[in-house]
Amino acid sequence: MTDTMQMPRGFEDLAGLAAEWAGPSENARSEVRWNASAADFKAFYDAMMPRLPDVLAELGRTTLEEMDIARTNLFSLAAAFAEAAPHHELYGGSSEVPFSFSARRFVPGHGDACSWATDFR
Amino acid sequence: MNDLSDAAQRPGAEAFSHLGRSLEEIRSELGVDPVSVQSIRDPAVYELEREKIFKRTWLKVATDQELPEKGDYKVKELPVADASVLIVRGKDGKVRAFHNVCTHRGNKVVPTSGFETFGKSRANVLACRFHGWVFSTDGPLRSVPMESGFGKLDKACLGLREIACDSWEGFVFINFADPPEQSLAEYLGDFGKLFSGYPYNEATTAFRYSTVLECNWKVALYAFSEGYHVPTIHAGSLPGFRGIEHSDFKLIGPHASSTIYGLGMESAESTGQFAGVLHANPDQGPRPDLLPPGINPKRRPEFQFELPNIFPNFLIHLAAGCGYPGIAFFTHQFWPLDHGRTLWEGINYFRPARNAAERVAQFHINALHRNAWLEDTGTMEDTFTGIRSGAIDNMLLMDQEFMIRHADRSQHAYLAR
Ligand code: FES
Ligand SMILES: [Fe+2]
Repeated sequence: MTDTMQMPRGFEDLAGLAAEWAGPSENARSEVRWNASAADFKAFYDAMMPRLPDVLAELGRTTLEEMDIARTNLFSLAAAFAEAAPHHELYGGSSEVPFSFSARRFVPGHGDACSWATDFR
Repeated sequence: MNDLSDAAQRPGAEAFSHLGRSLEEIRSELGVDPVSVQSIRDPAVYELEREKIFKRTWLKVATDQELPEKGDYKVKELPVADASVLIVRGKDGKVRAFHNVCTHRGNKVVPTSGFETFGKSRANVLACRFHGWVFSTDGPLRSVPMESGFGKLDKACLGLREIACDSWEGFVFINFADPPEQSLAEYLGDFGKLFSGYPYNEATTAFRYSTVLECNWKVALYAFSEGYHVPTIHAGSLPGFRGIEHSDFKLIGPHASSTIYGLGMESAESTGQFAGVLHANPDQGPRPDLLPPGINPKRRPEFQFELPNIFPNFLIHLAAGCGYPGIAFFTHQFWPLDHGRTLWEGINYFRPARNAAERVAQFHINALHRNAWLEDTGTMEDTFTGIRSGAIDNMLLMDQEFMIRHADRSQHAYLAR
């Protein structure tokens, strides 16, 4: 990932967050999440949560097939937030789910697939 | 609570009222005594289970949607039956199962990596890489390099070795018995009817997880077979989940089912927003109308999902988007690898996203559910270690753990045959 990512018009301010968090696949995003601290989760949450309605509205206007690079980057950022938010809201900032099995031992069948693929499984 | 024979039922529900059991009926039919953990602890029982359960019952091994086109195949490694199973859609569109074993000298026809291997045969043939024998996807041996060098070769008898295979509602099952004692429809019996009619095949976006657990397969199965643990083990991932009720108990031959009711799945602020995206789409949103009539027969709005146990190792949790937002259904399966090792597979099924926001929302819900599964699986290896230690000889089972009691009974019935 480069340190700035192209974003749709009106979402340029999220480019830095995307460079930090966005990944094209569940495995790529999990790697970022597993290395995040409580402060990282809080910063991500505080920056992203107020923008979430706009981000979801923007993504709601495009199908998975017709996303351009900027929207794909926004999608990957939103997917990262979708997966990271519970760590701030529910797990006390821990990168692990408290009192649980090691997430690293769960193998997602779709782990390396692009998260926007339409024949995704 | 468990009364399914009431006037305010959905039309068609009465056909299933004979499956319903009150708590009193459950207790009197299944008893309230402690259940021995010997069958979990004893490796000799596992050897019997392989022969008398896993080689004689119908086992779900694939779904229709995994094999959408002619020539699509899946290979499933099943150490419990010492088998590598090839499930393939033939030229005629029919799904068949074969031993993934070349009839020349026994090599795998399809090389595999891991427990599941997917592929596509473009010309509807599969060639063994060892010496090049070629089989068609419906089984027969097609060609043999240097055939005359064998002196005599009856190709007609050298097709792939077929395994009984049938499907129900898009779930593909096999049975290693030759021939099986019952058809798949007979084996599923009223369970097949109770769960039929839901458009399973429309939920084509599948998030699949697996892991190898160092525990007996029944420890893993049992941890997913009851609602008693929800308020405690899931306190971290489902803090707002309240009013949990596990009821509508049903006994269905070797199978069983029950219902989880509750509220509060969307308590976190981000979850509320993602759920809103999914619920704005009538296809993703709660669709209690799509539930078969015997499930949630009184149309209670707190319905979350139906929690069945399909003997011996398969669960289909049917939710119709009513529980975890957007999840049509999810399945669990527990494959013994050895007495003390189990491959667990959990799959969340959603209907396809109409737009990019819905896919993102699906990732959120999927992550919440995956994380709940991490809490579930977190108990399993410790439980097995505890049982193996000899410190306890019995499990004490409360009403909501009735499916464990019932599964134990079904296992004993099969082992006694
Ligand atoms: S073992 Fe398959 S061709 Fe020889
Ligand atoms: Fe659970």
